[in-house]
Amino acid sequence: MDIKEKISAIYPDASFSEQGDLLAIIPAEHFREVAEKLRYDNEDPMDYLRDIVGMDWGESLGTIYYLESSRSYNRIALKTFTTDRDNAYLPSVCDLWKTAEIKEREVFDFFGIRFLGNPDMRRLYLRENWIGFPLRKDYDMNSNPLDMENEENADITDEYYLNPDGTIADKKNIIFNQKDFVVNIGPQHPSTHGVLRMRTSLDGETINKIDPICGYIHRGIEKMNESLTYPQTLALTDRLDYLSAHQNRHALCMCIEKAAGIEISERAQYIRTIMDELQRIDSHLLFYSCLVMDMGGLTPFFYGFREREMILDIFEETTGGRLIQNYNMIGGVQADIHPTFQNKVKAFIKHLRSVIKDYHDIFTDNVIAINRLKGIGILSKEDAISLGTTGGTGRASGWSNDVRKHHPYALYDKVDFKEIVYNEGDSFARYMVRMDEIMESCHIIEQLIDNIPEGEFKVKTKPILRIPEGTYSSAVESSRGEFGVFLESKGDKVPYRLHYRSTGLPLVHAMDTVCRGNKIADLIAIGGSLDFVIPDIDR
Amino acid sequence: MKQAFLNYYDITPVTTWIHETLCSVMPEGLAIFLESLAVGVIVLLMYAILAIILIYMERKVCAAFQCRIGPNRVGGKGGLLQVPADVIKILTKEIIHLKRADQLLYALAPFLVILASILTFSCLPWNNGAEILHMNIGILFVLAASSIGILGILLAGWSSNSKYTMIGAVRSGAMLISYELSIGITVLTMVMLSGTMDIQQIVYNQADGWNIFKGHIPAILAFVIYLIAGNAEANRGPFDLAEAEQELTAGYHTEYSGIHFGFFYLAEYLNLFITSGIAATLFLGGWMPLHIPGLDGFNAVMDYIPGIVWFLGKTFFVVFLLMWIKWTFPRLRIDQVLTLEWKYLMPLSLIVLVIMTACVVFGLVF
Amino acid sequence: MNKFNKYIKGYISGIKSLLIGMRTSMKVFLQPKVTEEYPENRHTTLHIPERHRAKLIMIHDENNQHHCIACGLCQNACPNDTIKVISEMKEDEDGKKKKVLVKYQYDLGSCMFCELCVNACPHGAIAFSNDFENAVFEKDKLILQLNNEGATLAKNNKI
Repeated sequence: MDIKEKISAIYPDASFSEQGDLLAIIPAEHFREVAEKLRYDNEDPMDYLRDIVGMDWGESLGTIYYLESSRSYNRIALKTFTTDRDNAYLPSVCDLWKTAEIKEREVFDFFGIRFLGNPDMRRLYLRENWIGFPLRKDYDMNSNPLDMENEENADITDEYYLNPDGTIADKKNIIFNQKDFVVNIGPQHPSTHGVLRMRTSLDGETINKIDPICGYIHRGIEKMNESLTYPQTLALTDRLDYLSAHQNRHALCMCIEKAAGIEISERAQYIRTIMDELQRIDSHLLFYSCLVMDMGGLTPFFYGFREREMILDIFEETTGGRLIQNYNMIGGVQADIHPTFQNKVKAFIKHLRSVIKDYHDIFTDNVIAINRLKGIGILSKEDAISLGTTGGTGRASGWSNDVRKHHPYALYDKVDFKEIVYNEGDSFARYMVRMDEIMESCHIIEQLIDNIPEGEFKVKTKPILRIPEGTYSSAVESSRGEFGVFLESKGDKVPYRLHYRSTGLPLVHAMDTVCRGNKIADLIAIGGSLDFVIPDIDR
Repeated sequence: MKQAFLNYYDITPVTTWIHETLCSVMPEGLAIFLESLAVGVIVLLMYAILAIILIYMERKVCAAFQCRIGPNRVGGKGGLLQVPADVIKILTKEIIHLKRADQLLYALAPFLVILASILTFSCLPWNNGAEILHMNIGILFVLAASSIGILGILLAGWSSNSKYTMIGAVRSGAMLISYELSIGITVLTMVMLSGTMDIQQIVYNQADGWNIFKGHIPAILAFVIYLIAGNAEANRGPFDLAEAEQELTAGYHTEYSGIHFGFFYLAEYLNLFITSGIAATLFLGGWMPLHIPGLDGFNAVMDYIPGIVWFLGKTFFVVFLLMWIKWTFPRLRIDQVLTLEWKYLMPLSLIVLVIMTACVVFGLVF
Repeated sequence: MNKFNKYIKGYISGIKSLLIGMRTSMKVFLQPKVTEEYPENRHTTLHIPERHRAKLIMIHDENNQHHCIACGLCQNACPNDTIKVISEMKEDEDGKKKKVLVKYQYDLGSCMFCELCVNACPHGAIAFSNDFENAVFEKDKLILQLNNEGATLAKNNKI
């Protein structure tokens, strides 16, 4: 049955918008019903909530829910809205998809929409005493002068719910009791890989609860994008997840190209695919290094960096940048590949294949490492899907979710590669997924590197790019999961709203589920194996 | 069984001469006081110099394991002055006073740690006639004195009034108390072989071959167990849970600064040296040159090398071994550390003790 | 008995894995080191690829002439307001009024090296150089003037 018919069968008055992506528009009062039926559909349950995008359309506030099925990989977007700007309430879906717990907080933080039934309605990124909701179009940019006061986080949070008589009430939920032994892991901590803070309640060495606090490196990139032209927005994507710089930018370029109807050349597709895979190897080598270092092994840390350095040198030769490469452009890539590129890549892959055994000898097969990782931090497949932990983390739990396989882009439908899936769901499986993906990426690059066709590396585009009105999205498999770009255009040369699906936010949200009952040393190892990058979470 | 060895470097005549000369010009009490003062200064100096050497060695060795070259800027090409420069830096740093700490214990803890370390340090047999603290239960004294250090760590963690230090201290308490067992049992094994607890006597007894050769299989096993347990005692990777910088930032000494932190740091490196020194004494003959029974010519050549060179050579060999281990393995988790001790090392060391007893009783040792 | 066997096997395989690890680390211990000794290697092994973006420059030829027509496209392209083009209207020898560059101001401190300005320039007047040693002690010193004093517009204004 077609997805459109299915929605119409549940709620006959649903309207559909096809400007850009297919969008089902459902009023707030019927939204829960539609969402629930789609989620628990027998043949094709939409059990993966890709993202919730808050939006301010002027007369109404609302959210767009991007859903996907973990069986058929069908996608659909649902839109719901409320016109009451001062008291904006929408029903929560956090009992259908766990990931909504944190994503609804994000929407609340930026748009002030309160979700009825979400047990935790604190701000996510901004300070608790922030005035106004910054991504609303009528937000006064001068309403929050720089506040240097120390912020104490409340131990109590609000929950809003609907009384049977239709009135809205709120109650207080307790996050941490007075008696809890709460340790702050972060924001300045060697193993949180950036400025993430996890308030961790301990019982001796055992973890009772983790409450992640984000926003220490929040730069408001989504707000900034609303005043930048399309080529200018590109400059910020590299700064989200800096270990997936190429892939992030690839996603945004793809989205804009799709919306503006730009066809890019075969050569550019080849270059983009190779660069994406090199970036993935780069990221996974760093993952290896950091995981090992988090577990106290400082020597293998340098092995990973030694090889990563070679990739960075290759990047720099062609793109001119090492970490922030600025390589993908709308219509192609910034510059043609360097004449030595192909030889260097081939030499590097040969070298990597010869040293990867050292990596496994010193760490993977080590009895200490195996004991520290095997059976620790198990994430079940159901939880992985519900929490939306894409990428290696999801694949280690047996959830086949590789965007490259199921929604191929660039050249991924033409190359032969395996999707690495493990079923254990523990830290060791998460580690092995990444280690195997390094080899798989090498395999992909080897198929492409000698066959790069001649042609233009960049097609000419108009100097001032306007994108037709509509809602567009695209997704790539970045180094640590599905990175999505959601673009709302009003036909201007600047985006009306540009939202990025953070790959790390669901991972950080999953920390609580994964870590409970484990030891504090495992918290660090699990955090390392989940592999999140903070600038991508905070945006 | 005892084999005579040529004794070129016995410094006993020198020390006796100094003592007699001093006694001839002043009362004996004063002479002993002056000698103790001089020895004390020498111990402290050696302590400091060895710490500098060890830190430099650690940095260079760890760099080499990590495909790096290590310190190479301060003091010429090899970076020889890097560590002295760091020492000066740490001496000039401010000592932080915490508001809500237990002031007395907070100030006392680093001194306890360094005291334990210096006491055990003084028991090492440097050379023939050059042991500083000499008593007939020397090895027992070493075990006892080294336990004071644990007290210092526990107090440091508790008195800082911080959650990280608290967890670190509790970890190290649980861990060190467990590993004392294995150390005690392996030391007992070697005492069984030597038949004495006097450190100097243990060394003398190895004149006809080092204990590790004399005691063959049980001695080698005991050596390995001692190295693992000693590594844990010295709070070094893969057993550095009390500090565990990736988990607890700096563990029990998170809240210390300046020279107070320096004391912990110093004690940590010296404990490494002491652990290795005791291992060298018990298993590798201390200052005793390598003797192979029957090869008199070879033995005579070996005797020309001074005892202190033998001792330092063996100790630094063990230090390198421990560094090699530290810079290879990831850290264990606290419950795994305890499992390793109680389920693997302790039973094994008991078995080794029994085997060694049987060997000694039935004369199966050389 | 089975349990005991497993215990012994675990013991042995554990020790074996540790020894393999130690062998690997010793192998690397003996390998040549990979440290790059900057700044000593500045003139020996240091390799900066020509595409490396370190600093924006304005290209001047041997006659102290540049190609900037002060159109301001680069200024508009910059996401960070890094570039400020200050120009004035001047009459040339034919009597036509023309925009002439007075000062091309570039703030290295806020530049994020996205290369949009270079892409936007219709005459190839600006480019990124490899000169990466830009550390200064004062923030003000990061604000640079890119056009040389007294430089003029090149006659042959083609790329």
